[in-house]
Amino acid sequence: MNLRAVGCNFRTAAVALRERLAFDGPTLERAVAELAARFGGEAAVLGTCNRVELYVARGEGERPFDAGLAAEFLAEVHGLPAEAVLPHLYEHADAEAVRHLCRVAASLDSLIVGEGQIAGQVKQAFELAQKLGTTGPLLNALFPHALRAAKRVRTETGIAQGHVSVSSVAVDYCRQVFDHFGDKTVLVIGAGKMGRLTLKHLRGLRPGRILVTNRNPERAAEVAAGCGGEPVPWEQLDDALAGADVVLSTTGAPDPVVPRRRFEERVRPRRSGTLVVLDIAVPRDFDPAIHDGDRVCLFNIDDLTRVREQTLAERRRHAGPAEAIVEQEVRRFVEDWARRRSGPVIGRLHAEASKLRAEVLAPLLAKLNGKLTPEERKAVEYAFQLYQNKLLHGPIAALQEASRQGEGPTLLEAIKKLFRLGE
Amino acid sequence: MPAPLQNVTHACFGLSYLLALGLELARLRWPRPAYRVAGLAFGAAGLVAHSLFLAYHHPSPAAPYGALLTVAWVLAVFSFYGALHHGRQAWAVFVLPLVLGLLALAFVSQPAPDDPSPGLPGWLTGDRFWGAVHGILLVLAAVGVSVGFLASVMYLIQAGRLRAKANPLGGLKMLSLERLEAMNRRAVNAAFPLLTLGLLLGAVLSGQSADPAGSWLSLKALGTVGLWVVFLVLFYLRYAAHVPGRRLAVLTVAAFGLMVVVLAANHPFAPGGGP
Repeated sequence: MNLRAVGCNFRTAAVALRERLAFDGPTLERAVAELAARFGGEAAVLGTCNRVELYVARGEGERPFDAGLAAEFLAEVHGLPAEAVLPHLYEHADAEAVRHLCRVAASLDSLIVGEGQIAGQVKQAFELAQKLGTTGPLLNALFPHALRAAKRVRTETGIAQGHVSVSSVAVDYCRQVFDHFGDKTVLVIGAGKMGRLTLKHLRGLRPGRILVTNRNPERAAEVAAGCGGEPVPWEQLDDALAGADVVLSTTGAPDPVVPRRRFEERVRPRRSGTLVVLDIAVPRDFDPAIHDGDRVCLFNIDDLTRVREQTLAERRRHAGPAEAIVEQEVRRFVEDWARRRSGPVIGRLHAEASKLRAEVLAPLLAKLNGKLTPEERKAVEYAFQLYQNKLLHGPIAALQEASRQGEGPTLLEAIKKLFRLGE
Repeated sequence: MPAPLQNVTHACFGLSYLLALGLELARLRWPRPAYRVAGLAFGAAGLVAHSLFLAYHHPSPAAPYGALLTVAWVLAVFSFYGALHHGRQAWAVFVLPLVLGLLALAFVSQPAPDDPSPGLPGWLTGDRFWGAVHGILLVLAAVGVSVGFLASVMYLIQAGRLRAKANPLGGLKMLSLERLEAMNRRAVNAAFPLLTLGLLLGAVLSGQSADPAGSWLSLKALGTVGLWVVFLVLFYLRYAAHVPGRRLAVLTVAAFGLMVVVLAANHPFAPGGGP
């Protein structure tokens, strides 16, 4: 195997450099084709907002692709000095490169461990390289193997469980209370930036109605127009609360907008179903004492952030078992690859030895013709076969062992020369 | 019936359900697809064995043993259906313990070997017919109460998790409060008319019996009346007083307790049972 993975990620390069090294669609296609053509091997490029990585496989005995060559290539493509790129590049060789790709695909090397997008991005990088014809036996085996390893990690560990954005957690809570949203009303109070992001997630639930209220009626109308909702006068807040199923509150008010007394006196008696309040305002808009987990489920920014942190901690807890799966898959890939490389040579070695055995055995049996019983003839043939097997056992075992340890190519060439095995 | 069916025993389906439950519990800790497949396979095997057992022995639903076995079978079907259609939810973790509990109760209340079931033609013909219909109505009502009970237990756990603001995607995967409340409502709505019919039929049969007062004072009769009253209260609280879901869930759990008493008590009109 002569494989190298060279690149930079959020750990080794600042966002400013990553932005300059990023590839857009047409540039990426040109870069992949140029990489394969220039280095005469297989090539694929993985480019995301957090990493740019080049995977290059060359023929055995050829000079391996390295960080220096990668820096020159990236610098040339993006019009940067190579010295500005090189210090930020890492380089992984052979089994290490296999391990790196498996870890990347399994999202173990991501900024947010367990995020689900990276496997798709690895798949896209592979599909593009396939489309451009820059993959060969090694990358065609490696990328699908890494994607399988990633799938195992996702299904056999809890590393991808839960959501890690406050808005997603808010939506998760809504789903714990309501089954369908087509008949539900979402009330938006205020128009903070965080609120807009959460509202975007809530709209994904396709609620039947969205009401928007704000102290500033123009602002309410603006937000309502942006989300397909209806503005409601601020003075009708209590009525809107009484009819709402989900409330998203995100005002910048210095005091609670809905203190407990107001809620208990003017809202609760007029309600029959469950109300979910997502209070992501700071300071808080609703009194947390109204939460009972049955008629009113209130979640403020601290609750949502706490769940986010719990989820991240839980994902980190699964990193150990996930790394163990990656190790298994790396070992399996390296062994399979070694077997694919040494298999034909072992086959030829057996064939050559069998041919020699037949050449020696045939005249001997001819000379002894008539003097041996069928059993004795079988015993002689068996003895020659056994001798051949014992003779070849040592070199074959050594070759397999060397292949497992990544030292296969040298011994493979030695065996070919020693036993005069042609290509 | 083919002779091999004689070899299907309580242990066959009881142990299958137990293994399915064990695998479901293991899946909570180690979420591997193999556990789900194996759990479904054992659940299906238990269901097949349970069905064969009922088909071969056809115990009378008017007697505690047959009633409990039949309710357990319907709930096992419910469990298997839920496990297939709600693969992400910890469905079987709630339903299978109830199935196993009812089976255990059935096992301890099974008739003595010298008191065999009169058989299908026996308990559905002659003077036993209306007693059997009464038993079947109560068994069907019991299925509704059991489903309501399961929905209520899940509701209480889900409401507890929301009250504690637990991680929405951590721990047990549960249906939403809205779905559980709807499941409870539908189950109770379906069970009430069946229970009412069963109770009315029981009243008529009791009037015709040799000792009407004794029939009414049996544990089964008193429990059924109690259950009917609890249902009435449930309806009032749900549709007239609009009380929160948690209180309705607690009351449904209480109704289930009464139902177990009703099912396990000997029936005044069943062969070999009651006065």
